[in-house]
Amino acid sequence: MRAIPLLTLLLSGWFALPAHADEAQDWLTRLGRAEQQQSFQGTFVYERNGSFSTHDIWHRVQDGQVRERLLQLDGSAQEVVRLDGRTQCVSGTLVAGLGNSRDAPSRALDPQKLNQFYELAVIGKSRVAGRNAVIVSITPRDQYRYGFELHLDRETALPLKSLLLNDQGQLLERFQFTRLNTSVVPDDRELQPSNDCTPIAVANSKAPEVQSTETWHMEWLPPGFQLTNTSARKDTQTKATVDSLMYEDGLARFSVFLEPISDASVTETRTQLGPTVAVSRRLNTVDGEMMVTVVGEIPIGTAERIALSVRGEKKPAAQP
Amino acid sequence: MSRDALQESLSAVMDNEADELELRRVLNAFDDAETRDTWSRYQVARAVMHKDLLIPRLDIAAAVSAALADEAVPAKAARGPWRSLGRLAVAASVTVAVLAGVRLYNQDEIAGAELAQQTQQPVMAGPQVKGPAVLAGYKESADTTGPMANGVLQGQSGWQDQRLPGYLRQHAQESALKGTESALPYARAASLENR
Repeated sequence: MRAIPLLTLLLSGWFALPAHADEAQDWLTRLGRAEQQQSFQGTFVYERNGSFSTHDIWHRVQDGQVRERLLQLDGSAQEVVRLDGRTQCVSGTLVAGLGNSRDAPSRALDPQKLNQFYELAVIGKSRVAGRNAVIVSITPRDQYRYGFELHLDRETALPLKSLLLNDQGQLLERFQFTRLNTSVVPDDRELQPSNDCTPIAVANSKAPEVQSTETWHMEWLPPGFQLTNTSARKDTQTKATVDSLMYEDGLARFSVFLEPISDASVTETRTQLGPTVAVSRRLNTVDGEMMVTVVGEIPIGTAERIALSVRGEKKPAAQP
Repeated sequence: MSRDALQESLSAVMDNEADELELRRVLNAFDDAETRDTWSRYQVARAVMHKDLLIPRLDIAAAVSAALADEAVPAKAARGPWRSLGRLAVAASVTVAVLAGVRLYNQDEIAGAELAQQTQQPVMAGPQVKGPAVLAGYKESADTTGPMANGVLQGQSGWQDQRLPGYLRQHAQESALKGTESALPYARAASLENR
């Protein structure tokens, strides 16, 4: 009988969710739709430890087609053009063979799913880029992921500001509009890629796809993370096959890279670059020693645990 | 032992400043319902002072003692192998009681931390405005910096030096290629190229 008050206490923790959780879900649903429905152009800044950059964005929704162009304004002119969520061209160094991965349909923000692993709440209002905004906090329910603070435009629900916070509330990265215009639709000229933008199709053909010889699985994954992509490519320098797997929980992502190593002096490492952490560990397999590297926007403890839980299994003979 | 001395010891235990002797004194007196009452009153007072969330009073000590009392009787009567099994049962029930308590306290802690986070937010944005224009922003996460300040691997050589930047780039670009949700993954990938 003593267990009953205990149990109700435990359960009340779940039911005592603030009433504005629903409101937060509505805002995130609106956010998911906004980018499919709203044309805009603007300028934003991105800041993380050791880097501060400014970018222009043009986003046009016309005849059911979403066309978007992003251009970095300082330093090198990084550029991306996307059509309906598919990247058309990029500038700068694209990792060889990157686009080889089958175009998995990019999933829209799903507040219902997010709610399982994050606590969603409207925590106030603010003003960003001269526009009124509502603040939605996305707080992880466990210690395996980071939290977000989103400032959404009151009028269109577009994200005006996004902060990534660790468990101590420290700021890991900032994304923030300084100017946003939702009334003028970008014209063709503004959405036209520059000559430096390399079409994805061309970049891909340079690196043929390779088959990996082992299948990998994780003995432990943080709850809610699902495999969304696997790929194998031959490294241009070492000629070794690098397998990669990408996982996401609807908001956060991490990649696991696996590469054979021959050099015994290679050391394990852990490092953090703004929001992104990288942890590498040695792993003994039937094929010899491998290096497992976990890279992602997750706490270092999570990455470490994932790196420890990778297991390899020799694939049965390759299919004809 | 005087009531006052005991209360002083209780207070010391609560503040984590009790010495061995005081701790023993409190533990000995803890069977007394009045002492436990004082203890929980102190807890409430402390919670109010620290602006923690109030949890309904829950006497874990009493629950554990009661569980022990309930379980120990059949264990005593048993002989041979059953005896040790009985002990196991006691241990299990104590574990359950303690775990339940820990879970409760953790929940409280999380809720408290959330509150702290929310109240911290204006402070976080503060240095941005008051401090020197750009550098202030970097301070906040300065202590989480690894050897990769400024996006360049420092003090490392060999394998990591060659491979990690490539992995970071691949992860960022793959995220950017997939991500339609916002320009954030793109911005992350672009920031890696700014060296």
